[in-house]
Amino acid sequence: MSVIECKELSKAYGRKKALHQVSFTIKENTITGLIGRNGAGKTTLLKIIAGFIRETEGEINVFSRHPFNSLFVSANRIYIDDQMNFPNTLTLKDILQSAATFYGNWDQILAERLFDYFSFYPTWRYQQLSKGMKSTFNMIIGLSARCPLTIFDEPTTGMDASVRKDFYRALLKDYLDHPRTIILSSHLLNEIEDLLEDVLLLKDGEKCLYLSIDELKEYGVYLKGSVNCVRDIAGDKEIMYEKSLGNDHLLIGIKNTLTNLEIEQAVLMGVQISPISTDDLCTYLTNKTIGGIDDVFNRS
Amino acid sequence: MGGGLWLIIDSDHSKPIYIQIAEWLETEVLKENHKEHEKIYSQYQLADMFNINPATAAKGLSILAEEGILYKKRGLGMFVSENAKEIILSKRKNQTLKRLVHDLVLEAERLHVEEDELIDMIVKENRNRKGRTS
Repeated sequence: MSVIECKELSKAYGRKKALHQVSFTIKENTITGLIGRNGAGKTTLLKIIAGFIRETEGEINVFSRHPFNSLFVSANRIYIDDQMNFPNTLTLKDILQSAATFYGNWDQILAERLFDYFSFYPTWRYQQLSKGMKSTFNMIIGLSARCPLTIFDEPTTGMDASVRKDFYRALLKDYLDHPRTIILSSHLLNEIEDLLEDVLLLKDGEKCLYLSIDELKEYGVYLKGSVNCVRDIAGDKEIMYEKSLGNDHLLIGIKNTLTNLEIEQAVLMGVQISPISTDDLCTYLTNKTIGGIDDVFNRS
Repeated sequence: MGGGLWLIIDSDHSKPIYIQIAEWLETEVLKENHKEHEKIYSQYQLADMFNINPATAAKGLSILAEEGILYKKRGLGMFVSENAKEIILSKRKNQTLKRLVHDLVLEAERLHVEEDELIDMIVKENRNRKGRTS
């Protein structure tokens, strides 16, 4: 069963297109990573899914309903980002208690155990927390709510490395015990890739790729060796990344469509083949030029 | 579950994780940590142990089921087949060793090492090892 269905979804802010004809379907009880550069449209997409803003064109269904102004959708989803606002008159403990009355599946024991683990004090106020502590507190609410659709928009802002690791572990463990549909937006794909089932990559408001993480990991390869040999193996394949190494050596990234024969030829010519990490791949696919920032400095 | 186990997962990403899971399970069977007709880990247990998405773990299990190393009992999970060890051993001989030999021959060709010399190197290595272990 699918929880989210998007068909040619577009959103414009004035004349600026934030999303352009995006189509995809997210299955129930999967963890999807939403990846893209700053301004690629991630937050806009998530806010439309959550029902906060209305699309300009196209179709969107969440739990088979139009999410904007839908009480059903809002009761069954939680949206966590770093703009969360809690009244400063409430203590952290008060906030947890009122969250408990909002969400039907709320797990108070989980909330309290996470609260203690991350060393929060019940009498603290939200506004006094540091950036990372705010994110950690938001995460506790996001996990404990156990909403059938849980959306985390850049949830790890400001968290240090070990809290991020704990968060990903907690997310996975709670998901295993209580499967639900989770969307996680991030630009740190390498940190979350093992957690994900699918990856949706946005580029300039358009869908760039939507693949399972396993397919994404095998999507691209590097060829490295002397210029002539690398060019020979690459043939007319589309090049997504290119970097010259010294005078006569070259590193290129291509889509992994090499046949066994081509791989054998490459080895014989001394061309090294290695997989492109998902992080690098997403960077290359969303780069404007195949040389990246180096092209700015290349005046030849 | 401690943090140590998932360090086994290859961090240089050279092999897909579901293949690493399948290979790890094969080694478990070879070491007889899981005997014939015994239940093997579920996709959820594997996901927890290795800190990965359960769909990835399920892919590792289904590879082994396709190869007849595991079999499925409806509603009960995956179990080790009767001849699982033989299948794994013959697979490793036929696939892994063959591939290594293939790579070896290719590398020798690239370095202009003659066949006799290559065979000589293998024989020597083999003798060295036997000398050390006996």
